[in-house]
Amino acid sequence: MGNLMKTEWYKLIKDRSFRTLAFILIIFSVLYPLTMQSNEAVSKLSLYEFFLYQVLSINSDIVKLIPCIFAGFFITSEYSNGTMKSIASSGNSRLRIYFAKLIMFSIGSIFIMLILPIFMTTSVNIIFDFNGATDWILLMKAFGVISLYAAAFASIMAIIATIFTDSGKTIGLLIMFFALVNPILDFIRSKLTSLETMIDHTVFMLYPKIFKLDQLDHTELTTFILIPILTFIALGILGSFIFRKKEIK
Amino acid sequence: MNEYVLKTNHLSKKYQNKMALNKVNLSIKKGSIYGFIGQNGAGKSTLIRIITGLAYPTSGSFELFGESNERGLTEARKRVGTIIEGPALYPHLSASENLEAHRLLKGIPGKECIEKTLKLVGLQDTGKKKAKNFSLGMKQRLGLAIALLGDPEFLILDEPINGLDPMGVVEIRELLKKLNQEYGITILISSHILSELHLLATHYGIIHEGELLEELSTSELNEKCKHYLHIKVDNPNKAATVIEGILSTQNFEVLPDGSIKLFDYVDKARDVSKALTGEGLIIEEFMPMGEDLEAYFTTRIGGVNRG
Repeated sequence: MGNLMKTEWYKLIKDRSFRTLAFILIIFSVLYPLTMQSNEAVSKLSLYEFFLYQVLSINSDIVKLIPCIFAGFFITSEYSNGTMKSIASSGNSRLRIYFAKLIMFSIGSIFIMLILPIFMTTSVNIIFDFNGATDWILLMKAFGVISLYAAAFASIMAIIATIFTDSGKTIGLLIMFFALVNPILDFIRSKLTSLETMIDHTVFMLYPKIFKLDQLDHTELTTFILIPILTFIALGILGSFIFRKKEIK
Repeated sequence: MNEYVLKTNHLSKKYQNKMALNKVNLSIKKGSIYGFIGQNGAGKSTLIRIITGLAYPTSGSFELFGESNERGLTEARKRVGTIIEGPALYPHLSASENLEAHRLLKGIPGKECIEKTLKLVGLQDTGKKKAKNFSLGMKQRLGLAIALLGDPEFLILDEPINGLDPMGVVEIRELLKKLNQEYGITILISSHILSELHLLATHYGIIHEGELLEELSTSELNEKCKHYLHIKVDNPNKAATVIEGILSTQNFEVLPDGSIKLFDYVDKARDVSKALTGEGLIIEEFMPMGEDLEAYFTTRIGGVNRG
């Protein structure tokens, strides 16, 4: 497993799509606050409130989709390049190969999902004066939760990327899936009330609760943290099972 | 000690309604260079993909270094270097970066092996040039370098000389011979260039429509590549009648261009020419010849039928 992890890490840091996406997000995170002319409106907010209303909304709506592009390159291109053949025939078990790939893809996705919150929050903190003291612990909690959900979403992306061995199809399908999954689940929940509890406890429906992170009680917080972890483990096992049965062309 | 690196036992693979492999019993002796011959779609790549763990057999089994269960096979594959259906490269990485990724994958300590392997395949001067900008021949060499990383005991090479220039073909042939003779590496090589395979292989397996038709050593092949008399006369039909009548043999073949292959009387050419000229035939071409691997293969898969 160690060899596989080292290889995947090496490929991650050399991955052009990863570097490009990260670079674009960093530039955007630093430059976007400069477009906010008025310091007045911002100064009424605390840094955490700005983080919630500005940074997280961009991150939840747009940045969540960027790992879909990364999945298309980092996972699917292994099939189109033929390099998955040399990995699968290298004398490592399929289970280990899949988990090494999933873990490194998750790390990449977490990194992508954290760029905007970290860089934009830092840059606005330098540029603007905020109202009141900053609750850094709450911010760190939010970063931790983003990481957990990024990993859970990555486990879904990894399965789809493994099934569709074509980068274009994978990216298209993933973007469509992540853009539509919440409205679809909302619709199903309204029609099938018996599924309400189950649907409410999916990572898709739970993630928007990040906006109420400071209002969650202990039970809600536990659920909020446990569900992405369980999703990652369950979908990781499912994905490794699919990969184990898959014939690599 | 196991004499065989690879042994298959009634190995079959079915894709929907097509049998890609049908009860194949193949064996590759340790230290041999096994030339795997077959047309496109004959089942060569399917067998290679099963051996390397990319596909699963429908029925049958195989032993790799004496291992046949899943865990044992996974371990055994660490001793194998492969090129499967073309070199597997990361296009945005340079040659040394590609090798580094594979070195890490195979857990080879130290980076010295990268320079050594690049030198071995003649790619030591490619610098930071990305693999996507390599010529087909360079990509093949890099694929071979990847296969050679970690000093494998068994090389599985699917069309490794595709796209190489004539000098490149010679170099790779000499390299493979060296690896086989000096390091004792067993090699399974499939290639469409049968003349090249003939210069390299010590054993052959001929596969056709999923069935292994024959396995034979070079000496057995030489034995079987019958010599014959190549005859061209002004009237091939009359010549055929003469051969059947006067020489009393049906062991000949009239080719579409009118030339005749006579498999008997190779050591009695004078008798043949005497019989033909005696019947008033004008001989245009007359020479003893032997079948090469290509001709033998064509005959074996039923491309040419002897009369």
